[in-house]
Amino acid sequence: MDIFSDLVLGLSVAITPMNMLYLLIGAVVGMIVGVIPGFGPSAGLAILLPLTFGMDPVGAIMMLAAIYYGSMYGGTITSILLNTPGESATVASTFDGYPLAKKGRAGPALVMQAVASFVGGTVGVLMITVLAPMFSQVSRSFGPPEYFLLAMMGLMTLIVMIGSNWKLGVISALIGLALGTVGVDLETGQGRYTFGSAELIGGIYFIPIAIGLFGLGELFYAFYTGMHRAGEGTLVDYRKETRFWPTAHDFLSTRWTMVRGSILGFVVGVIPGAGATIASLMAYSAERSLSKTPENFGKGEMAGLVAPETANNAASSGAMVPLLTLGIPGSASTAVLLAAFMLWGLRPGPLFMEQNTELAWGLIASMYLGNIILLAINIFAIPLFVLIVKVPYRLLGPCIVVICALGTFTVNASFIEVWLMLAASIVGFFMRMYGFSPAALVLALVLGPLAEQALRQTMTISRGSFDIFFERTASLSIIALTIALLVLLPLMGRYGGRAKTSSKAKG
Amino acid sequence: MTLHTNQIAGHIKAGVLGLALAAPLALAGAAQAQTYPDPAQTLDWTIAFGPGGGNDIMARTIVEILNTYDFYPGNITLENRAGGSGAVGWGHLFGQAGSGYGISTTSGSFVTTPLQADLPWAPTDFTPVALLATDDLVLVVSGTSDIQDIDQFIEFAKANPVNIGGTGTVNVDFIVPALLAQSAGFEFEYISFNSMADQTTALLSGAIDAMAGNPGEILGLIASGDLRPLAYSGNSTPDALAGVPTMAEAGHPIGVSMPRGLILPPDAPAEAQTFWIETMKKVVETPEWAAYIENNTLTPTFLFGEDFRSFLGETQSGFEEVLRSVGAIQ
Repeated sequence: MDIFSDLVLGLSVAITPMNMLYLLIGAVVGMIVGVIPGFGPSAGLAILLPLTFGMDPVGAIMMLAAIYYGSMYGGTITSILLNTPGESATVASTFDGYPLAKKGRAGPALVMQAVASFVGGTVGVLMITVLAPMFSQVSRSFGPPEYFLLAMMGLMTLIVMIGSNWKLGVISALIGLALGTVGVDLETGQGRYTFGSAELIGGIYFIPIAIGLFGLGELFYAFYTGMHRAGEGTLVDYRKETRFWPTAHDFLSTRWTMVRGSILGFVVGVIPGAGATIASLMAYSAERSLSKTPENFGKGEMAGLVAPETANNAASSGAMVPLLTLGIPGSASTAVLLAAFMLWGLRPGPLFMEQNTELAWGLIASMYLGNIILLAINIFAIPLFVLIVKVPYRLLGPCIVVICALGTFTVNASFIEVWLMLAASIVGFFMRMYGFSPAALVLALVLGPLAEQALRQTMTISRGSFDIFFERTASLSIIALTIALLVLLPLMGRYGGRAKTSSKAKG
Repeated sequence: MTLHTNQIAGHIKAGVLGLALAAPLALAGAAQAQTYPDPAQTLDWTIAFGPGGGNDIMARTIVEILNTYDFYPGNITLENRAGGSGAVGWGHLFGQAGSGYGISTTSGSFVTTPLQADLPWAPTDFTPVALLATDDLVLVVSGTSDIQDIDQFIEFAKANPVNIGGTGTVNVDFIVPALLAQSAGFEFEYISFNSMADQTTALLSGAIDAMAGNPGEILGLIASGDLRPLAYSGNSTPDALAGVPTMAEAGHPIGVSMPRGLILPPDAPAEAQTFWIETMKKVVETPEWAAYIENNTLTPTFLFGEDFRSFLGETQSGFEEVLRSVGAIQ
């Protein structure tokens, strides 16, 4: 195989002073768009796209791609420090990232997320380098039946996410599913609960809901418990001298989490339309079900942060596979990259990598370098970001409200979404108070519409027969995998539980 | 329509000869049209969608051409006012009624969004400048399919239940196969997808039999043989699809397409409309415009002023009729 020579060619194309500058710009911009809640990579990419008119395509694509995967690094910072996901793929990172920060481990959490992002991103690029042609087969075997089964697998993770109080959890998930029905019905074209509003045609986007539920809901709860009366530094406890670096235990206990998260993330990322958000939620649930201490999840478990972080970065690499090998964008962000290719007069498709060897391998090589740059930027920037939490809460609070509102508005320039975000924040406050599960609501809102549409497409295709699920190799494989998970995970959980009790007995 | 295009093309060529001498002619034109455009006034160019989309690329291409050739003397501010499938941006333009200094580009949603939502405006309310191009669709099957051409497809569709995919229901993706089926006399199930990417993967995975889509995004898959083009819905096949018949050539004229044009606010001054009609006649003769048409596999189609207004009206009522008959809109 001449993968090695291709990669060397790619590196020689990528490493020029100008291209390195573009890569650096992309990485920094990606970090920034990731940090701002709501303002995600696709919006950031789209805004910078016009600037690449007339640029050299290699430098331009290196920069744009860096914005995409860079945002996966940046998006976690606010998830950890403020419980506000910077963008959709980092919703799952709030579950344990924020509790970690509350426990005084903001520094280690931020370092670990940077390391996890780096590992996920790099494993992802490695897998592209070696396995892209193989995985392009995966991307082209997915039709509506497979998407439905995938969504069902995702919804199964609700069982894990709901936790102890299943009644409240089920109600939360049902609210999410109900919200997912809003918008134009894809099949008939009729509006559902849109009340004639043009802004609701596209349905309720889950980003404003997630920002409201997690970010502002948490903020209101903090005010309710009187945190604004306390002095500085009480939001999360942080001392640089002792608390910056993760302990050896943090690395050792999450080494397999990183491997699992990277592989799962990459595979899900390869499937067009599934993307980093679903990958990170699935990785979180998988890790929790595999863990020997599932009861610690949601209370500041390092593995609970590392799993979604490796997964979302690996997924952002995985999403490049259908883009480069088939010319099919797997996500909103890669759709902008596809638009960029077309803008420069390139023709994405199965022949793309052959016809544009330098560009394609330059891009792949630049992703190795970009991840290294991002790791460095992150480690250096963490002390700066942590300063945020030193701001007294009574001053920080109003700023969070403004940032969340602005961030929500910038995504689609929609006032309805700002109102939705504010309504979700009030609901989020009460959910927090009475022990509902905002995470289950968001997961149901993401996967519900996907499951519904895919099932209806499948049923239309098969004229109402369920046999179609058993006639396709890909869907059969997913069914087999699901059954394996359903049978094996509880067994492993039981085994893991026993191991834990015995170790406790020893200790 | 072809006749019309030729006439205008001739007209433009005559005018364009002097254009190498550039600006003076444009200024003379401006002086002729009384006070429009006043270079002191800033032109507010609304893009009703986010950056990177088809509408955005078209607007930025036109503005780039206007600046390169000095076709417009004043300042132009481009602003993306996305939201509600174009409702927000075109609503903004609607609110500038009477002004000659607001302008916007149109795309398919300009016709379809008003059919789906309660909006205060209809496409025909705006002051029409020109239809510059249309988005047309190519009907494709998977490269592994036994179907080689459109006749075989129609034959197959008459004998077997077929599934045809497209993006959304209130969209030309559905209207084109619906009209084709009506004309050719077959029945099909329409499978609606959220995006071109979803429908392409579904077709490659063998879940659906065929799909109608914009050729631009799938040219690569067509070139590699993964997808096989059968017929094109536009008036003439673009170079990139050479050898593929149009649906009209196959005996099934469709006559619906998505308008890419330019509009001014309702009741804009007549001299503003005249200025922009004359300016756009020059814009479409530039090599930059030709490159835009080719890169995006659009069909160049020209209609100016009131002809564009009636085209919009006809397109919308055509859509409404088909969509109402299947119950997609009430």
